[in-house]
Amino acid sequence: MIASSAPSLGIDIGGTFTDLVLHDPAGGRSANIKVLTTHADPVLGILDGTRRLLAEVGVSPRELGRVVHATTLFTNALIERKGAVTALITTEGFRDLLHIGRERRYELYDLALRPPAPLVPAHLRFEVPERVKADGTVLVPLDLAATEAAADAALAAGAQSIAILFLHSDLHPAHEQAAAAHLAARHPRLPVTASSSIVREVREFDRGSTATANAYVAPLAERYLSRLAAELGGLGIAAPLLLMLSNGGLTHVAEARRAPVQLLESGPAAGALASAFLAGPEEERLLAFDLGGTTAKLCVVEHGEPEIVFGFEAARQARFIESSGLPIRISTVDLIEIGAGGGSIARRDAIGLLKVGPDSAGSEPGPASYGRGGTQPTVTDANLLLGYLDPGSFAGGRLPLDRQAASAAIRALAETLGIGEDAAAWGIHDIATEAMAGAARTHLAERGRDPQGFTLVCTGGGGPVHGYHLARKLGIPRMIVPPEAGVASALGMLAAPPRVDRVTSLSRRLDGCSADFLGDAFAALEAEARSLLVGSGLEEGALSVARLLDARCVGQGAHMPVPLPPTPWPEQDEAVHALIGDAFRTAYAARYSRPPPQVPIDLVHARVVLRGAAHGLPPQSVASAVAPPVARRRRIVVDGVAAEAAVHRRSALPAGFTGHGPALVEEAGSTLVIGPAGRFSVLASGNILVELD
Amino acid sequence: MPRLDPVTLELVWTRLVSAVDEAAKAIVRTSFSTLSNEANDFACVLTDAEGRSLAQNTGSIPSFIGTLPGTVRALRDAIPPASMQPGDVYITNNPWIGTGHLNDISIVRPIFREGRVAGYAATTSHVPDIGGRIRSTEARELFEEGFHIPPMRLMRDGVVDQTLLTLLRTNVRTPDQTEGDVWAQVGAVSLIDDRVRRTMDSYRLDGLEAVADEIFDRSEAEMRRRIAGVPDGCWRYVMQTDGLDAPFTFAVEVRIAGGEAHVDFTGTSPQQPRAVNCVFAYTRAMTVFTLKALLLPEVPNNEGIFRAIHIHAPEGSILNPRWPAAVGGRAATGHYVPVLIFGALAEALPDKVRAAPGSPLWIMNIAGTDPAGRSFANVFFFNGGTGAGAAQDGVDCISWPSNISATPIEVAERTAPVLIHHKRLRPESGGAGHQRGGAGQETVIECESDDVAAVFVTERIRFGAPGLFGGGAGAPGAVLLDGVPADTRRQQTLAKGTRVTIATPGGGGFGGS
Repeated sequence: MIASSAPSLGIDIGGTFTDLVLHDPAGGRSANIKVLTTHADPVLGILDGTRRLLAEVGVSPRELGRVVHATTLFTNALIERKGAVTALITTEGFRDLLHIGRERRYELYDLALRPPAPLVPAHLRFEVPERVKADGTVLVPLDLAATEAAADAALAAGAQSIAILFLHSDLHPAHEQAAAAHLAARHPRLPVTASSSIVREVREFDRGSTATANAYVAPLAERYLSRLAAELGGLGIAAPLLLMLSNGGLTHVAEARRAPVQLLESGPAAGALASAFLAGPEEERLLAFDLGGTTAKLCVVEHGEPEIVFGFEAARQARFIESSGLPIRISTVDLIEIGAGGGSIARRDAIGLLKVGPDSAGSEPGPASYGRGGTQPTVTDANLLLGYLDPGSFAGGRLPLDRQAASAAIRALAETLGIGEDAAAWGIHDIATEAMAGAARTHLAERGRDPQGFTLVCTGGGGPVHGYHLARKLGIPRMIVPPEAGVASALGMLAAPPRVDRVTSLSRRLDGCSADFLGDAFAALEAEARSLLVGSGLEEGALSVARLLDARCVGQGAHMPVPLPPTPWPEQDEAVHALIGDAFRTAYAARYSRPPPQVPIDLVHARVVLRGAAHGLPPQSVASAVAPPVARRRRIVVDGVAAEAAVHRRSALPAGFTGHGPALVEEAGSTLVIGPAGRFSVLASGNILVELD
Repeated sequence: MPRLDPVTLELVWTRLVSAVDEAAKAIVRTSFSTLSNEANDFACVLTDAEGRSLAQNTGSIPSFIGTLPGTVRALRDAIPPASMQPGDVYITNNPWIGTGHLNDISIVRPIFREGRVAGYAATTSHVPDIGGRIRSTEARELFEEGFHIPPMRLMRDGVVDQTLLTLLRTNVRTPDQTEGDVWAQVGAVSLIDDRVRRTMDSYRLDGLEAVADEIFDRSEAEMRRRIAGVPDGCWRYVMQTDGLDAPFTFAVEVRIAGGEAHVDFTGTSPQQPRAVNCVFAYTRAMTVFTLKALLLPEVPNNEGIFRAIHIHAPEGSILNPRWPAAVGGRAATGHYVPVLIFGALAEALPDKVRAAPGSPLWIMNIAGTDPAGRSFANVFFFNGGTGAGAAQDGVDCISWPSNISATPIEVAERTAPVLIHHKRLRPESGGAGHQRGGAGQETVIECESDDVAAVFVTERIRFGAPGLFGGGAGAPGAVLLDGVPADTRRQQTLAKGTRVTIATPGGGGFGGS
């Protein structure tokens, strides 16, 4: 970690609020502000918040050393299909590739199933004569005149952005690059995305899906990021604007404008980093758990770094069903997302079992207890009846909850199930939590992780409410509940390091690769990655490089990432083969719990991850209250049985305070529920640590 | 034991489904067969102690979900449960008790609770090779189709039967990969065993019967209620398909009465001395899949749903052949079953049925030596359009009723000596109608090596997918070699430069236009 003495500003745009945080290492000060997200023009909210925050802390705009920004704008544009009119230019004979897709159904029994519609409609898909074969030989030279004509036709049809997808461009990108350069020269203001410039991986559908998604959000990114950078400059801020990537690293505006698809999971990445930051550096293995109104998100963070995968699915149209979205091949936080949140609706299913979600009452009409016309019982209604929520102080008292309405909704459901009201309320809480536990259990098991070594970090309005039961289900012995998220959530990303990920296709057997061939492939990726950081204001401190291979046994369909040890690259072919062979066997055994069979190794992709140093941030601390807190008592239902819980106001608990369950700790945005198997203590950082028997 | 309440039942059942889903993911990660990890050609099932289906992986293909519990029951008949021990693993690929052809190996592991069998974890997966002729329609008997493993014990106390393994390895073209896939499946059933026992611990269950009985009873009651919502009567449908030298006839009568469905395939063509026969287990699987999709799609598959369904296919027909019929291409026959049932129930359920899809699944296998002298064997899948429904057009190019992806072009060209000139929609191939059928696709593949053997599985070249309620038929498919229609029932030899055109059929239309 390096400590920078200049103050930094973090900006996190979410669906409802834009969070801003300012950290001044010299003065040891941090301050934050929450403003409403201005959806029509999100820059306005940011500028307003920035002005107010700077004035409040008394820092002048020129003093800022860096501005870090995370945003969900691009992913929302994709989910809501509100991106640019996008055209696609492909190899002749293949204009229907994205329409045809993978030819699989994401649900078996739905006779009326529709596959996700491609981002580019039929009339905006164009073909040009060109063809490169799998071995790199040119079968048909690129027809630039036809490319130009296709672009003209696309523009005449209203296209605002163009994606180019040629076959085998992951191995042989020359045609795509020539076409993109030609169009860029003719139309300097037209965003053009060549698939190989975003992701040099085999599989034309996945690469094309990623490239069109990039093209689809590129004009928005262009407008928004240029304007934001300019307006922040207009406030007198000279520091560079840095953007949070989906993998939790930072990049600069130029790279974000070039490949905005890398920012799709920017928001969740910032969230995972925030959890790690809030939990503190002594927590080596944590499971970040964020529960909001409609979804639960879980992410493994080890040694401060969220787990990364090299692809995900955006904009799933059938809620949370695999394969119902658009495949996006980027490096991103490995997020478990489940359709279970406070607004999730409980119902009786066709055979009389209790189901919770994924349908959500949202915030309008919302849970029955919101009194806004919702009549269906939700998880929030159940939590209210279980005694977890105080009807008068929910959402800081701004939204009084109607207990009777919740009770009526749940009683009606309980009657159809033939069970009592308490049993139904506990059942809803239990089933919603089991959905989260089930997903987490599988996720951890697949990665060979033992839940007993993890700490659950609970954030969001619902995290502290469900955390205890979730930890019990998973066998996780410790929970950390940071003080109300928002106070410091945007702080987490100020510690993020700059990061560049680059990938290229190899498509060769290991025994057919020389030391030089592989060494050159990695060196080229590293040079490309370094060129992005050099001179950008991002490369403070030393850069570290990690090399990985996507590899498999010959004949195997799936490949896995194989991290290579950080040793100097050998000169002899045999030494390189041994190095990679050993790394492959280690990774294979870790993943499959048995050694690989004696068959040759197939190398699919080479990857390079270039990272800068993380920034140091001070630990959080909380002012100690003097007066010993006086707890009220409330009847709650926990583990399915009624109990008397001590009710604490969080703001009244001094550091060092300890207690045991059943207990509730209330703050404006959430309530921490601790059952009889839990002991808790308030740490110096302000976090509450819950230990489970 | 007292009846389980609807909350506990939901929690336990969710855990059990999640266990088989986790095992399914493990198979995708660990298997060699691209059929498993790209085409999803596998399944994981949990049954109770009697071999009744309790949970299966969410994304599995209909045929396997339907056959695998029967595999467990047949295995229990062959090997008495009293002789089983904790840690045992059993294996078979007998088509009649398995999935209908030798290429799918089924693995079964008994789950023990307090010294007795509480249930079975079972998986089935299409292995990379099983020996014999390469998926040829021309096989006349089962013996030509590969290595046959009757129900046998593969492991005891964690020790594998080396004799069996050596025989298997010796009889297949890809011993390492085929064995690797067997281990992937052993890993999966062991995982289910572990997770199910943990679930029983968590909920203090001394077995799975209480959960199973309650779920089956509830599901059966609801399925009976749904069937009762279908107008009583005898609903019939007959259609002709491409067949071999002469077309095949498929006939069905669906009798709905008193909340039960009786499905009878009497009148269907006799079994054939070619690999087109579909064993009864597969016929049954496709039948229950169709009725569930029509009537109770939202409840996870389980034995209770099937209790009110009675199925008969005359012995010796292509939907119930006698041993040792050749069965390698059984999907091309079995995939017609849903179309028959839709046709029969069209008048009874006009808002739910779909016109015929441009399936069964099309397949091209090629094998030979590439120009560099390396031998290769590849399988490519092609899908047509689906049929239209009352309120919806059909979908273009999508797998149905199976669920198998096509191989990406870049992957195909890097693993086999082929050059694909185009892959595009056949725009006018969907049947006309108030709602149009989905379009098929046309792919042109140039062979880049000499003396390459090509074997095809195709259907609907003579008879397009029929429409419903006046909707037009989808365009028939075609296979051309250098522009000339090919006999897809025989192995073809491709020369360097031969262009194979594969045009998949469109789906049928719905309603007059």
